[in-house]
Amino acid sequence: MSTTTRDLARPAPAKASSAKPRRGLRGSPTLNFWLFTGPFLIGLAIFVYAPILWSLWLSFFEARFTVTPDKFVGFDNYTYMLTNDDFVGSLGTFTVFAAFIVPTTWALSLGLALLVNRMRFMRAFFRSVFFLPTACSYVAAALIWKMSIFSGVRFGLMNTVLGWFGIDNIAWLIDPNPPWYWLVIVTARLWLQSGFYMILFIAALQNIPDELYEAAALDGAKPGWQTFRHITLPQLRATSTAVILLLLIAAYQAFDEFFNLLSKTTWGRPPLVELYYKALGESQDYGAGSAGALILTVLICAVTLLQGKIMGFGRGDESK
Amino acid sequence: MTTTTPQVRKSAPKPGKPRRVRSGGGVMSSTGLYIATGVAAVLFLIPFYVLLRNALSTDAAITGENWQIFPTDIQWGNIGELFSDETVPFARSLWNSAVVATLHTVGVLLVCSLAGYGLARIPYKHANKVFYAVLGTLMVPTAVTFVPSFVLVSSLGWVDTYRGLIIPGLFSGFTCFLFRQYFLGFPKELEEAARMDGLGYWGAYWRVVVPNSLNFFAAMATITFINGWNSFLWPLVIGQDPSSWTVQVALSSYMTNQTVVFHMIFMATAISILPLVFVFLFLQRWLVQGIAQTGIKG
Amino acid sequence: MSASSNTNWDRRTVLRAAMGLAAAGGLAACGGNTGRSSSGDSLVQMFHAYGEAGTEQAIKRYAKAYKDANVTTQWITSADYESKLFSSLLTDNAPDLFEFHPQIQMVKSGQVADLTDLIDPVKDDFNPADIKSHTVDGKIYGVRMIDDPQFFFYRKSMLEKAKVEVPTTFDELMEAAAKLTTGKVKGLYMGNDLHSVNDTLIWSSGAEHLTADNKIAYHTDGVVEGLKKMRKLFTSGDLLLGAPTESWDPSSFIQGLCAIQFCGMWAMPAIQDALGDDWGVFPFPKVTDSGKPSVYNGGWSMFVNAKGKNVDAAKEYVKWLWIDQKKYQEDWATSYGFHIPPRASLAESATKLKSGNAAEGVKLFNEFGHFDNIGWTQAMRTSFEDVFANCVRKNMDPEAALDKCDTAVERELKKLFG
Repeated sequence: MSTTTRDLARPAPAKASSAKPRRGLRGSPTLNFWLFTGPFLIGLAIFVYAPILWSLWLSFFEARFTVTPDKFVGFDNYTYMLTNDDFVGSLGTFTVFAAFIVPTTWALSLGLALLVNRMRFMRAFFRSVFFLPTACSYVAAALIWKMSIFSGVRFGLMNTVLGWFGIDNIAWLIDPNPPWYWLVIVTARLWLQSGFYMILFIAALQNIPDELYEAAALDGAKPGWQTFRHITLPQLRATSTAVILLLLIAAYQAFDEFFNLLSKTTWGRPPLVELYYKALGESQDYGAGSAGALILTVLICAVTLLQGKIMGFGRGDESK
Repeated sequence: MTTTTPQVRKSAPKPGKPRRVRSGGGVMSSTGLYIATGVAAVLFLIPFYVLLRNALSTDAAITGENWQIFPTDIQWGNIGELFSDETVPFARSLWNSAVVATLHTVGVLLVCSLAGYGLARIPYKHANKVFYAVLGTLMVPTAVTFVPSFVLVSSLGWVDTYRGLIIPGLFSGFTCFLFRQYFLGFPKELEEAARMDGLGYWGAYWRVVVPNSLNFFAAMATITFINGWNSFLWPLVIGQDPSSWTVQVALSSYMTNQTVVFHMIFMATAISILPLVFVFLFLQRWLVQGIAQTGIKG
Repeated sequence: MSASSNTNWDRRTVLRAAMGLAAAGGLAACGGNTGRSSSGDSLVQMFHAYGEAGTEQAIKRYAKAYKDANVTTQWITSADYESKLFSSLLTDNAPDLFEFHPQIQMVKSGQVADLTDLIDPVKDDFNPADIKSHTVDGKIYGVRMIDDPQFFFYRKSMLEKAKVEVPTTFDELMEAAAKLTTGKVKGLYMGNDLHSVNDTLIWSSGAEHLTADNKIAYHTDGVVEGLKKMRKLFTSGDLLLGAPTESWDPSSFIQGLCAIQFCGMWAMPAIQDALGDDWGVFPFPKVTDSGKPSVYNGGWSMFVNAKGKNVDAAKEYVKWLWIDQKKYQEDWATSYGFHIPPRASLAESATKLKSGNAAEGVKLFNEFGHFDNIGWTQAMRTSFEDVFANCVRKNMDPEAALDKCDTAVERELKKLFG
């Protein structure tokens, strides 16, 4: 197969293959379907589905310090996780987090897109500035945030600025009262994510036909809020839906910055961090960890499908 | 209402540049627009400023009593110090990241674009079921499969190898999904013309579809490369030995080390970001165009 | 490709062919490799990353001097150490020997090998407490490499300036912290999460973790009082919080961010270099009237992976390095950070620990030291850390927090001891 690839990739004379018979195996859609998707699906089966099934199997066993357990415990792990305050609490944490971060990121990236899109000068510059953080990793951002900007000591940037106004140092990440750690986490995520979604919105804005605005102007719609509300926003509906779905999935899978920024807390733990500590951390309870992970998966699927139903995501595909 | 409308019109561009009217702007004057954007830009740049300042300072200056706006005595020597440090093989980790991210990108584009095309354009009665099987993987958190994946990969003997770092990450449901969405919108006429020339699906794909989708491929390549370069959790587990660390793992090792040497940490972070910043600045145009063509728009 | 084993040839070939990625396979040849060679025994040892300069080179130097096996070292950055150790123990790439703390679940799950026959001949030379903390049912499961007493370090000049005496009770410590706090310097630092003082708080409140027959012993009125005092201290504003380095690193103390810091003996050379003689040490003071000052004698021990492929060779290496090679043991204990050698014969000859603050540290170790309880496992440790997080940092009622901890610890105890 790899040789075929090379042959075809080479700019060979275009007519060379037309001499061959057209029909037969090469023409069979089913065969071609598997030819195209096969490599991907095999990999998916080995590296994604096999581990999922393994987890499923583990979740019915007492698997502490082993991934090849032999003590079947039925649904014990599931009842343990569902009655476990920490895990259930982490779902609450996530809900608060998602309820805040999803609309905020959506609004910020849309806002930036609107601003940048209206610019006449230095447009590329500003777009680059907002887009650049996308190049940074969560590790890098966590490092800059924790070690310098929101460092709890006097040489942290925020504390320095507060110091100018005579405000005492704040231990941003350590003291949960008031919960300043949310500020740290949310700003880091906004900084990292907004640029990317801004680009999606800019792309969508440029796809809105000018005629719509012209027609609206003729109908007497005020440029500004009215046009935005009645033309821009509806036209961005598909993009918004996709962005919200992506943000939701990303929020559910939040791990890196929580893991790096909040160590040894009992609060501010989204489900993945909770599961990481449960299964991989010190208690090494793979059975309970897997059970929790599967509960989480079911939950994500349910929410995503629900969101899809409400916002109509994925329906448009089939009609194309 | 009548009073505001003409005012706003003023800021609307001349007929020659109709593109600028869009987004129905008008609530904000041009000055206000630039001020708002400027403030936002400054906020977005602060972390980069902090990063550079710390990377080029001495530790004493960073931890000193007063905030130094920028080091008066710029410490270019920090770069040399970073690369000569023996405990963290930083140069090696940069190389590993480059290799891993590049091969990751090539592999993902190849595997996922083929699959995406197959799902979008080749009629097969169970194609939808297959598609949902792919889509479903998007919702499974990494941590679910993390341990079994690691055990699996380790039993293949892939720990500490490029294979272990690269291959398990090639099968990205998300990228496949994006390619499918893109190919759904690819003009059918072009393919039909290719078929008339006697090309099968395979031939049409490589001779017509791919050459006409280079923008989109470039965009996906950029995104995939960034993800490959920035991924952390998997390389952390697979890279047991420092010689197979990627740059993110090396960075986190600075952060979790017993001793914290600020200028080294920040210099390392700055250098780890640098390649991507260049990639970004150069490929941004294609990225924006490419994204504009994704199925993401619906 | 050539560097890898051949057992998975088929799977790999199939995969590779299927993906048309011939290149990816070949690249493995230039990838990193654990370095297992076919000649002689190959061993892999795992260490957490010590912070002191030269430690990694030292461990590798010792390994290189060993002739009977090719020993490679995995040097794991500290915050990830437990999870990395635990997850790699499950795989084919598990280390043959690793450093850790004595914890009974490792014994019960058959993870660590019985090392009694190695240690028995020199048993009398070891600190009896170190032997005891590694013994389950008469068998010894690990060799102690170093003992690390942990206590407070204080800046003499700062205390003099503020006219503060070295605290002898926790209340005095709180007062001292208040007096020592000025604009840019905080009085006291005990780590951001305060977990370094979990154990000492229990002991200094006159309690223990577990009773001799492994029942909960930490849930006492004294500990509740201690937790309330900790909460008061935490909210007083006199505690340094959010420092970039944890309490095991002396940076905050050296940088002058605090006047008193909880740290360990290992930091002494670094502090001496930075501050000269302007510092002293004192134990964690008594919290309640019935309590006593205490010092946590932490440390690291060598274990052999009983499920590894080279158990005998690994045991040989442990015997060679951590029983026979006294020169290396002394080098390890005193040439980088300061640690107390667990062996009496070495502790006597370690001149660096004979004078000044180091001698004072040894004195505190002997007088107030408490060793690990092997029955107190990592999971229980985590549960008690949650108590600190919940009631000291988050203002939960101490009784409620301890009750929650009891439930988790009971679950563990039941699994371990029935």
